[in-house]
Amino acid sequence: MIALTLPAASDADRPFVTRLGDGEKPAPTHSRLEHFEEGRSIWCGDHGLLEIFHAGENVQGDVVLVEPAKGRIERLIRTGSRHNTLLVTEQCDQLCVMCSQPPKKSHDDRFGHFTKACMLADEGTLIGISGGEPTLHMEKLLQMIEAVLARRPDLSFHVLSNGQHFTPEHAMRLRDPRYRRVAWGIPLYSSDPVRHDTIVGKPGAFERLMESFVTLFRAGARIELRTVLLSQNVADLAPLARFLAANLPQIEQWSVMGLENAGFARRNFGDLRVALPERFAEVAPALDLAVLHGLPVRLFNIPLCHVPPAYRHLAVASISDWKKRFASACDECRAQADCSGFFEWHPQELVDRVAPI
Amino acid sequence: MEGKGLLRSQVDPALKALRPGVRRRSLTCGVLVSDEAGRFVLEPHGLADQENLSPFGYADRLGALAGRYLQARRRSVSSELDYLILVPTLRCNLACSYCQVSRAALGARQHDWSDETLGHVLDLVSGLRARAVKIEFQGGEPTLRPDLIAKVIAAVPPGVDALFVICTNLQTIDDTILAIFDRDDVLISTSLDGPLELHARQRSDTEQTRRFAENFRFLLDRYGPNKISALPTVDPSHPPRPADLVDAFAAFGMRSIYLRPINFQGFARKNHSAAREIGEAWSDYHRSFIRYLVERNWQDRGRVFEETYFSLILRRIFRPGSNRHVDLRNPNPMGQDYIVIDHDGTAYPTDEARMLTRAGIIDLSIGDVASGWQTEKRAALNAASTNDGDPACETCAYKPFCGRDIVDDISRYGTTSLPRHETEFCRRHLALFDFAFEMIHSDSDKTRYSLGHWLNLPGPFPRVVAVS
Ligand code: SF4
Ligand code: SF4
Repeated sequence: MIALTLPAASDADRPFVTRLGDGEKPAPTHSRLEHFEEGRSIWCGDHGLLEIFHAGENVQGDVVLVEPAKGRIERLIRTGSRHNTLLVTEQCDQLCVMCSQPPKKSHDDRFGHFTKACMLADEGTLIGISGGEPTLHMEKLLQMIEAVLARRPDLSFHVLSNGQHFTPEHAMRLRDPRYRRVAWGIPLYSSDPVRHDTIVGKPGAFERLMESFVTLFRAGARIELRTVLLSQNVADLAPLARFLAANLPQIEQWSVMGLENAGFARRNFGDLRVALPERFAEVAPALDLAVLHGLPVRLFNIPLCHVPPAYRHLAVASISDWKKRFASACDECRAQADCSGFFEWHPQELVDRVAPI
Repeated sequence: MEGKGLLRSQVDPALKALRPGVRRRSLTCGVLVSDEAGRFVLEPHGLADQENLSPFGYADRLGALAGRYLQARRRSVSSELDYLILVPTLRCNLACSYCQVSRAALGARQHDWSDETLGHVLDLVSGLRARAVKIEFQGGEPTLRPDLIAKVIAAVPPGVDALFVICTNLQTIDDTILAIFDRDDVLISTSLDGPLELHARQRSDTEQTRRFAENFRFLLDRYGPNKISALPTVDPSHPPRPADLVDAFAAFGMRSIYLRPINFQGFARKNHSAAREIGEAWSDYHRSFIRYLVERNWQDRGRVFEETYFSLILRRIFRPGSNRHVDLRNPNPMGQDYIVIDHDGTAYPTDEARMLTRAGIIDLSIGDVASGWQTEKRAALNAASTNDGDPACETCAYKPFCGRDIVDDISRYGTTSLPRHETEFCRRHLALFDFAFEMIHSDSDKTRYSLGHWLNLPGPFPRVVAVS
């Protein structure tokens, strides 16, 4: 597991964002490496001195948020990683049964820091935005995206959203060419409105989501539809596939995802989880339907050996680098490089059930 | 029943106006209902409240929006020129009984590209701007002029991803042509009419057939089955037994068979004058062939055979956007994204058009490689090259999947304005789509097994839910 926050000390009196210089020409927003030794490094920049305590992590090139009062840095955008996610809020208006990051009431507005961080990202970086529900702060979110892409047209964004807050007025705005570089990851758990509403813990959520889709598709928005596999919706998957083919064929991808044993899901993992590979036969018809209709379907967070060979080409090595692990038996597997592996916190007895390919 | 609740309960009559036209066609298994987006359901016969039924999922603005999107995806948009059929020579070293192209004798003069024509062809090739292009060499026998093939290959601009197909009778393979075949971007296409005796009968000579088989095996050994494809040309009045035809393909390790009826044009027309009214026989044969494949694939599950055109029909039914096949698309723009350049530099919209012209039936050339083909003639063809607005097609349940082949109409009837239902093309496709939709709604494991493979599904073909 890669540490995303590290203990640090700084003489600055306010939080700031800086890029830990990697040898390029110094800029006011960058920090220069002054001293490096086992276990710590010292950086210097316009904001003052910064001392970072780290074990083995290489932080050079990272864009970090320094919070002197809290005595830590947060690695907002790690250089070279494909899994950088900015958590813009912890508030949410849904309460999904398996939420991996259960919402909080309070909101700490960090859009200013995030905007600065994006400006310092490596060329061509894909930046994830997540929450909570980012679109609860729609105006600030869109402003950030627009401001960043105006200055950094090389970047792109992937925003995870429950799709409850788009209104027809957004269609015009989202038609701006900058939004070609923005994909929206939106969950839909069932084509049965009641079931979807039950899973997300919000009556009317399905209907509201469909309204948002009208807006988003009017705008030509890029949508990644996400469906987490649950005991509650596994029987709905095939009808959902038909529903997507008939009503949401514009989507850029349909991601069918394995359950993450975190947050709420931790408490009820046994009840929520669809045990693979044993129950793959219940999932397969939906995948067949998706392929039949040309829907670009992918399997996420599911180790390759839990997927029958005919469906493996649909599986993506998706689990973020910083929270992924393998079983010891995986060392001898030829497919490891293409395999999602397991979440760091996946129950050990389940992790050990692998069958090297 | 899955999906049913959605189908019936959420219909808002006020939204019906938003819905693209709904069409029906009666089949044995029920009534097929489709909309212009190509979404479909099967209803039982005699369903009462048809007027109020909106069978296509979530019946609201979202469904309507999706419908417009799907409808647009199903229309072919004419892209840049990315498919060339080139005829470097009309000469051939064979004389098949039905040769479609009015070949010239091996030693004939002035049936190859002149230096001037070659120059224009190379200009055309080096001016290609599409990201990916396909260049097909037809004949005559193009391998008689490997030098011309090599020059064309060399003229493709860097950065353009080109695929070359050489259509050959495989009579002679020398080192020059082998060096071209060896390229990874070259595919070989040939004819295989079925069992070698039949192949020999249709191609007039057993010695030549022996050479063909020998060379075919040589290439298979050298490259494996993926580099070579073969097309059988079938005489509908004396078709080979499906088993024999499939065996012949299996013997060469090939699994895809593109059945084509003998095209009664060119030389063929003169020998087979009874040609016109055998469409029914062809449809019967085509169906029996596919039924045979279903059985055979089920018996011998490791080796799945397909009929290429039927697979295309299936893809067009289920996958909006499968518009790249120039034989079946709507509209079907002429002289836009593909063009045929003959041995004398004349430009034709399709290879059939070239044959019709050569056979002296009607001049369907639209220009030439020197001065281009942005001609009035092309515009006239294009105006007719669509199913949109046709009274028959606009009420046909299969329009979203069907296509337009005006050259076929012209070749048979000398006009493009025959009522659609009276054309062979329409009759053949109605029969094919009827057959496909009966299969799609079949409960048989055998059928679903083959359908799944033909559509490249990871598993068996899913059961299609019928409204009840
Ligand atoms: S054995 Fe390990 S690496 Fe291989 S597919 Fe299974 S989980 Fe992935
Ligand atoms: S040509 Fe015939 S089968 Fe095709 S859409 Fe027109 S009417 Fe239907």
